[in-house]
Amino acid sequence: MKRHFRELSVTATLLLVLLGMAVFAPAFFQPQPLLSLVTREAPTLIVACGMALVIICRQIDISVGSQFSVCGIGAGLLAARGWPLPLVIGAAVGLGAVLGAINGWLVAGLRLPSIVVTLATMVTLRQGLNLGQQGAFVNLPDRVQWFGLSQSAGQWVLVLCSLAVLAALGLALRHWPAGRQVYAVGSNAEAARLAGIRPQWVTFLVFVLLGALTGLAAIMNVVQSPQVQPLAGAGLELKVIAAVVVGGVAIAGGRGNLWGAFAGLLLLACVSPALTHLHIEAYWEKAIQGAIILLAVVADGVRQRRSEP
Amino acid sequence: MSAPEAPAGWKRLFLRYEMLLFAALLAEWLLFHYFGTTTNRRGVVVGFGTMDRQFDILRHSCEIGLLALALTPIIITAGIDLSVGSLLGLCAILFGKLWFDGGLPIPAAAGLTLLIGALAGGLNAGLITGLRLPPLIVTLGTYSLFRGLAEAITHGAVTYTDFPASFLFVGQERWLGLPVQAWLFALVAAAVWLLVHRTVFGRSFRAIGFSPEGARHAGLPVERRIALAYVLAGLIAALAAIIYTARLGQAKADAGTGYELFAITAVVLGGTSIFGGKGSVTGTLLGVALIAVLKSGLATLPIVIRLNAAEEISGLLTGALLLAALTGSVLPKILSSLRRHRQAG
Repeated sequence: MKRHFRELSVTATLLLVLLGMAVFAPAFFQPQPLLSLVTREAPTLIVACGMALVIICRQIDISVGSQFSVCGIGAGLLAARGWPLPLVIGAAVGLGAVLGAINGWLVAGLRLPSIVVTLATMVTLRQGLNLGQQGAFVNLPDRVQWFGLSQSAGQWVLVLCSLAVLAALGLALRHWPAGRQVYAVGSNAEAARLAGIRPQWVTFLVFVLLGALTGLAAIMNVVQSPQVQPLAGAGLELKVIAAVVVGGVAIAGGRGNLWGAFAGLLLLACVSPALTHLHIEAYWEKAIQGAIILLAVVADGVRQRRSEP
Repeated sequence: MSAPEAPAGWKRLFLRYEMLLFAALLAEWLLFHYFGTTTNRRGVVVGFGTMDRQFDILRHSCEIGLLALALTPIIITAGIDLSVGSLLGLCAILFGKLWFDGGLPIPAAAGLTLLIGALAGGLNAGLITGLRLPPLIVTLGTYSLFRGLAEAITHGAVTYTDFPASFLFVGQERWLGLPVQAWLFALVAAAVWLLVHRTVFGRSFRAIGFSPEGARHAGLPVERRIALAYVLAGLIAALAAIIYTARLGQAKADAGTGYELFAITAVVLGGTSIFGGKGSVTGTLLGVALIAVLKSGLATLPIVIRLNAAEEISGLLTGALLLAALTGSVLPKILSSLRRHRQAG
């Protein structure tokens, strides 16, 4: 109970918000809009899973938004050229993995701080994309949207797919030796090395995994509309990091899990519809997001201070 | 480079990292001067080589330069502040609002804006030192919060304009031959240089960045010194906001978006270690100049004009430059560890 205090408290807050919505804005729970909302968040959930791993490993990646845009546009261009969908998906995941590997090499190989490395790759990728694409949308062939299925079937596919990734990664992180190694490196890299783990490899691989998941998420976003926007991933990094931190993953590494990140993501996802239903202007969303991040880290800090002797 | 370590005279002068930066800056300037200057049909020189362009570079580099100056002490203490760009936006909006809606005279509005900037820096400082939270996540939160507040206050649409000419003078005119804000910038640069290189505070910044525990054991008030660096950054960001507003003649919510990247790049390029404990204000100034000349010079190259992509290319090159500077900064460490490895094996 005490060990999972953070996860439980986020879940409780989420339930409270949902209860509030049920009382004050029951329209929120109509099945079709709710399914659309959950579908829009499905790619974010996938990226959040990868980000949770990176943060547990005591690193951070703020270039995921740019990676997301690059993978989305890349996939769109390939699909527009008539590549079959499975190949396009493979290419997007591969491209994401390569972008993640670049970050991973700079961080793990050269031992540079991840925040500055990914700040640089974020801007390099974004401006490179702007230069190549000049803000133009990519039109997709007909059969790509919703994988050629009906809309609700496609939405269910995306939601179930993201939940499957969450479950697989969550269980692997909890029960697999490789998952435990991520925690070990995040809590104390030197101790992990002495225990026979290779911290630099683990760090490299979590960045590659995050890149691959971002590529997958980009595809899941691409199939939701008939066009690909080059700005699709703008601000994604903040949303994802906020979800992970609110969900109780410690930014100092080594603590937290994916279920908490999931609850954090759902809580943040409720902010925007809640604002709409409560007739508050949507411009407040970013400020509220920032305030929630600060609140979460302050709560962590206060708890840690109290537990100190 | 505070204390002179190497005794040999010419070596100390010429084999410093700052000299390398200065040579790079000179080479870059000459290159743009050669390729970016043309004569138009009426026989008038246009492009990079004109005096107007040089003043333009000065004007445009002031805001990013101020943010870079603000970040230098912070990065020396091994901290980071991602929120300075957002704070610039928030302060610009509040300044406009205080003057336009609040009816305050410009000096009062400016003073209040500086106070708000210092308070916002104090928020960062309080969270970082009071609760011992990592600066990265705190300033990522305030990055979102400050920008979000600016958007919420303006509803994403309002821009404040129609500032009086006496105020626009600060951003658009010259005084004693130089743009007015360049004088302000020089003043702040001198103050930060004195603080970092000639006072006990600067020395303690370096001690804290080198080893916070060691500094604490040496009796330094670590929390108070770190807090000072963040409050100062807020104050300087507010000044940058006022100068920004005066230069463009309008205050809007997206002011300063992405400036933190350019500022951090300038600081790291200038030789300040991102791991803390080492840094120089002169280096930061040279880094700012390098980036400003690059940004402005690219816009005058014929090929860039044809592509109409000056913004994108300069962003791309700045990102690549930051990566190169970072890699260069760890290269000696890696080489020496390789050598040790070979000797051991």
